[in-house]
Amino acid sequence: MYFAVNGKQVFATTGGKPFDNSKPTVIFLHGSGLDHTFWGLHARFFAFRNYSVLVPDLPGHTNSEGPPLTTIEAIADWLNDVVKTLDINNISLVAHSQGCLDALEFASRFPERLKSVSFIASGLATPVNEALISAAENDPEAAIAMMLGWGFGPAGQLHQGPIPGNSMVAGGRKVMRGNVPAELAADLRACDAYKNGKQAAAAIQAPAQVILAGKDRMAPRKAGLELVAHLPDPEVTIIEESGHMVPQEAPDRCRQLLRDFIFKNNPTR
Amino acid sequence: MSRFLNFDTLSLHAGQTVDPVFGARATPIYQTTSYVFPDTDTASSIFNLERGGHAYSRITNPTVGVLEQRIAALEGGSAAVCTASGMAATFCAITAILGQGDHIVASTQMYGGNISLMKNTLPRFGITATFVDPTDTGGFRDAIQDNTRLIYGELIGNPGLDILDLEAIAKIGGDHHVPFMVDATFNTPYLCRCFDYGANVTVHSVTKWMGGHGAAIGGAVVDGGNFDWGATDKYPTITEPYAPFSGINLWEEFGPSAFATRIRAEAMRDIGPSMSPMNAFLLLQGIETLSLRMDKHLSNTAELLDYLTGHEQVSWVSHPSLPSHSSHKLAQKYLPKGAGSIVSFGVKGGREAGKTFIENVELASHLANVGDAKTLIIHPATTTHSRIDADALVAAGITEDMIRLSVGLEDVADIKADFETGFRAAKRVAKG
Ligand SMILES: Cc1ncc(COP(=O)(O)O)c(C=O)c1O
Repeated sequence: MYFAVNGKQVFATTGGKPFDNSKPTVIFLHGSGLDHTFWGLHARFFAFRNYSVLVPDLPGHTNSEGPPLTTIEAIADWLNDVVKTLDINNISLVAHSQGCLDALEFASRFPERLKSVSFIASGLATPVNEALISAAENDPEAAIAMMLGWGFGPAGQLHQGPIPGNSMVAGGRKVMRGNVPAELAADLRACDAYKNGKQAAAAIQAPAQVILAGKDRMAPRKAGLELVAHLPDPEVTIIEESGHMVPQEAPDRCRQLLRDFIFKNNPTR
Repeated sequence: MSRFLNFDTLSLHAGQTVDPVFGARATPIYQTTSYVFPDTDTASSIFNLERGGHAYSRITNPTVGVLEQRIAALEGGSAAVCTASGMAATFCAITAILGQGDHIVASTQMYGGNISLMKNTLPRFGITATFVDPTDTGGFRDAIQDNTRLIYGELIGNPGLDILDLEAIAKIGGDHHVPFMVDATFNTPYLCRCFDYGANVTVHSVTKWMGGHGAAIGGAVVDGGNFDWGATDKYPTITEPYAPFSGINLWEEFGPSAFATRIRAEAMRDIGPSMSPMNAFLLLQGIETLSLRMDKHLSNTAELLDYLTGHEQVSWVSHPSLPSHSSHKLAQKYLPKGAGSIVSFGVKGGREAGKTFIENVELASHLANVGDAKTLIIHPATTTHSRIDADALVAAGITEDMIRLSVGLEDVADIKADFETGFRAAKRVAKG
């Protein structure tokens, strides 16, 4: 569905059911250069379990009006505007990669309506090397190749996918090609500039879950464990065989973990 | 594995994870109709497209899934759906987006089955086609109507071997919000990855070079993931809610694989042209050596082109790698490794001499197929293209004396020796 936030069109999928703000709501946040399709199956799963689901494209990305936002703080503000616009209560936030930084800021600054937050494949910060940022600006295909090459673990490089017949790495490439150069470059710069992770993590009151991947080269285990160390009392799982793209590379395990955590902390009637 | 794997590696590994139970290195043949669900929630979520997984082998099968992902990987597509045959792939791909009142702009130079499908069968369902000369790129634009929903062609036409100007035709499609679907059977992704030049969907008769051993029939549709279905309201099967799956919006939820998902959700369910696991296994075995075989097909083709062009019994030889071929330039652009292993030529002495040649070779098999490991020959006017009328025959560039050769992997000296026997017999007939 489309709706206006601060005068700009925002697109979000709702998992195949109409959006209903009277239900507990799961909001999914995608990572750098990606869009709503990253969460396809997971969104649908919750939508058909009596949750309302909102999977926005960040400003500028795929179907949402630009320009892209340039700082993590601004994205958290924007997300709060989305929440207020749609008057969403009882939120479970599910975030991947850059989305986790957005979620750290949002959860620490706007705790009122938050019931739970799930961080997947991230640390407290996401330093991005200058070569990647400059590739995003000047040679987007190279930047995409770097990100997907590093992003996907073995299952991705072998062109597995959550659905038989689908290649998640090729699908990711097609999505990213629609979000370069401006959006990807803005995302990467925003990640690189974000320094407030520690304070934000410590301020989070909502129950938190951290899902890390054993073969993650974008957010290595050490970085993920720093996030764990600074959150008050998170539930932590490391999926050893997965690369960075956990929701796609280990979809069944990931769904089970999200399900158990969200059902417990943000139950539907 | 921190970067994209290369073509030969993908030919061997893509789509497969080693069997976690017994460690089988080859892809196991999951010869089963159905799959035991661990619990009701898993069952219902597979049925409702909330999770991947197998329910019934008409829709998905683990062995077929490996083949699908391998073909998607080699082609650079976001998803593939395998079908019982190449024709089934074409039918499913077209009907996934076209219905009553819709129109196709297609090349005149195509496999007889493709022409017949669009000329005879699809019109019965309200889908019509205009056929245009594949060498007249502007003709594709001129033939587009308000109700055109597809541009279709074979990259290497059959049997005239004219090459489509992929980039130019893709641009015409893009300008009109019409997807460009390419039958890539004759080139395989090893010779050309059509998505790199803007094609949006490829279909394959995997029966041919991909499988490569003449052992199993199969087809594949590959979703390029690069067509913006949402930019127009012309493709409601992709962008509008689909009732059988609780009104799912495939474009919203699956984005770059929405088209393939539609085929999976509709054609495989309601029509059911599924590939058998055994055939998927045989075709996978073939794909493992795709590049090795293609290189040998090409080197044998090059030698035979030399031999045939210099032969006194041969009136003409056609292949895009010959400078005399009208598509030579396009072949160099799109098929730099080589323009495939189909050659057509005329035997001096016309129809009778051609027939005698075919009857007297022994190694080359006279049959209606292409892309086998073995050398094949046929007389198109009386076989593969016999069901199309005289005008279409001319339009497809087929002459009475034409012999179509599918160059195999034999020792090329033996193929030449075999042809000598055929040419000697043909010469006697030609002399009368
Ligand atoms: C170019 C082309 N496309 C499609 C087909 C149909 O494939 P199948 O025989 O696997 O149905 C063929 C078969 O000869 C072909 O040559």
